[in-house]
Amino acid sequence: MTASPSETAPAPLEELATALAQAVGGSAELAHGTAKIRVNRDAWVEAARTARDDFGLVFFSWLSAVDWSNQVEVGDPLAQPVEERYEVVAALADISSGLIVLLSTDLAKDDPKVQSLVGVYAGANWHEREAHEMFGIEFVGHPQLIKLYLPDGFVGYPLRKSFPLLTREVKPWPGKVDVEGMPGQEDEDEPSTENPEA
Amino acid sequence: MTTRMSADQDLVRHLSEVSVSVELQTPDMTLNIGPQHPSTHGVLRLVATVDGERAFNVQPVIGYMHRGYEKLAEVRNYPQITTLVNRIDWVSGYANEVPFIVAAERLLGVEVPERAQFIRLILTEMARIASHLVFNASYPLELGAATPLFFALRERERVLDLLESVTGGRFHPNFNRIGGVKPAQGAGSATRKVIQDLPKGFLAETRAAMDKVLATVDELEALVAGNEIILARTKGVGLLPPEIAAAYGMSGPNLRASGVGFDLRKVSDYLPYGQFEFRVPTGANGDCWDRWWVRLEETRQSASIIQQAIDAIPAGPLLAKVPKIIKIPKGEIYVRAENPKGEMGYYLVSDGGLGPYRLKIRSASFSNISILPWILEGTLIPDIIAIMGSLDFVLGDVDR
Repeated sequence: MTASPSETAPAPLEELATALAQAVGGSAELAHGTAKIRVNRDAWVEAARTARDDFGLVFFSWLSAVDWSNQVEVGDPLAQPVEERYEVVAALADISSGLIVLLSTDLAKDDPKVQSLVGVYAGANWHEREAHEMFGIEFVGHPQLIKLYLPDGFVGYPLRKSFPLLTREVKPWPGKVDVEGMPGQEDEDEPSTENPEA
Repeated sequence: MTTRMSADQDLVRHLSEVSVSVELQTPDMTLNIGPQHPSTHGVLRLVATVDGERAFNVQPVIGYMHRGYEKLAEVRNYPQITTLVNRIDWVSGYANEVPFIVAAERLLGVEVPERAQFIRLILTEMARIASHLVFNASYPLELGAATPLFFALRERERVLDLLESVTGGRFHPNFNRIGGVKPAQGAGSATRKVIQDLPKGFLAETRAAMDKVLATVDELEALVAGNEIILARTKGVGLLPPEIAAAYGMSGPNLRASGVGFDLRKVSDYLPYGQFEFRVPTGANGDCWDRWWVRLEETRQSASIIQQAIDAIPAGPLLAKVPKIIKIPKGEIYVRAENPKGEMGYYLVSDGGLGPYRLKIRSASFSNISILPWILEGTLIPDIIAIMGSLDFVLGDVDR
């Protein structure tokens, strides 16, 4: 058996993505060897079912979300303002050809609800519980939508961009104030790491 | 004699009357297993309803090891993130770094020198051997056979020593750089720059070590495969059909043990595996025995890949030319790799800054143990240990 590199030879992936997008009424994006199909929220479960039954994407790799937000408490803000939303992403793969496709849908910030995929892929159970506690997304029809990692009484949704990272609130990073000056040297603004002979 | 017989008969009659008059109560019991238990490989807690010797409705409780790496990655820059990710599955720390670095490189558009790719491949396979040897040490131990542990851990120590000689770390190598691998180990002073490649003799020593690994794997097979108790406790136990495994996202040796010959090293090109000959072992039944056997056979294949890579490793630079301050252009990418535990992937969303806007970490053990409620339903309590051990998970890889 020889290797059939999927990431550098996108032709079969492109074919799959276009056909799948057409079948589920979504749009396909292909960049850096990653195919993403955007669908409407109402078509979410049906799209996954079509991907599994008609396109052989029987392997449920993962599900998570991205908080597209113009106001951030942690990290760098976005360079360009975006439409604020939660993007739910699920990765579905074919275990005979090795192709993988990301399925994505946008949820409004004031109504983060989507139908659960547990009926299609049993493995979505834990991934949806994680996305629920981390992003506050409600998966309608999930059999047991309780916290997975976090303690029961935890308040807030840690992976939302509006959730501060408390260690950074207590101590900024990287801390220039941490650096002790060398004895006999004047304090420079930044210690030089350059090679003087180079 | 006759009097004694009649006395016995009287007793039997009496007991039978007693037993019908007293109704034996057998309420279900809730059994809490863990979080501190040697077979959980970390801190996993199970809450099971027990009816006699059988367990029903087993609910895993996880999160005791949750460190929030996805959040922490959002406040770090790209080079700093490798220190986080090699702590996810600490039994094969090196293998965790590779898919993240490849994701960053592909978004950045850097071509990695071939020698660096070969070094990555050799070290990744060494991490796989180390991980599978830990499994081969701990799994028979959980089933009552202590001897294989000493054979397996002795070999693993040799492999880890070699890993350490290159990277400086046994568990957390932090050896990959965006664009290649770390070019200088503890190199030089401010005035004299030392470029150090692989340490002298590393390739020859590794080749010899792989021969020893192969010999040890034969020994392990002889020790374990001939053990009646282990056969009885693993054959036909914890059966996992391939379609259930796929729907739960089970990957790696656990999926292959169910007869699915899917290996990302064969279908993806994150490292140059296409140049080497190796087999993808699959199991016939998908039971605990197959999961043990697949890992044993994979250890042999990895040793063979390493020896082939040592023969073919080219000369050349270790690091591509990359900017001093790495800013990754806007875009998103998902890169996955065949790690010892299964598919490990990173969904990296960049906004053109110094660090990721979002980093989703797909770890193998998380999906691999999400099947526990399904696979443990109605099993005997001693089989819980046999099945959990055969899934070979690490809690750091579950909780991230």
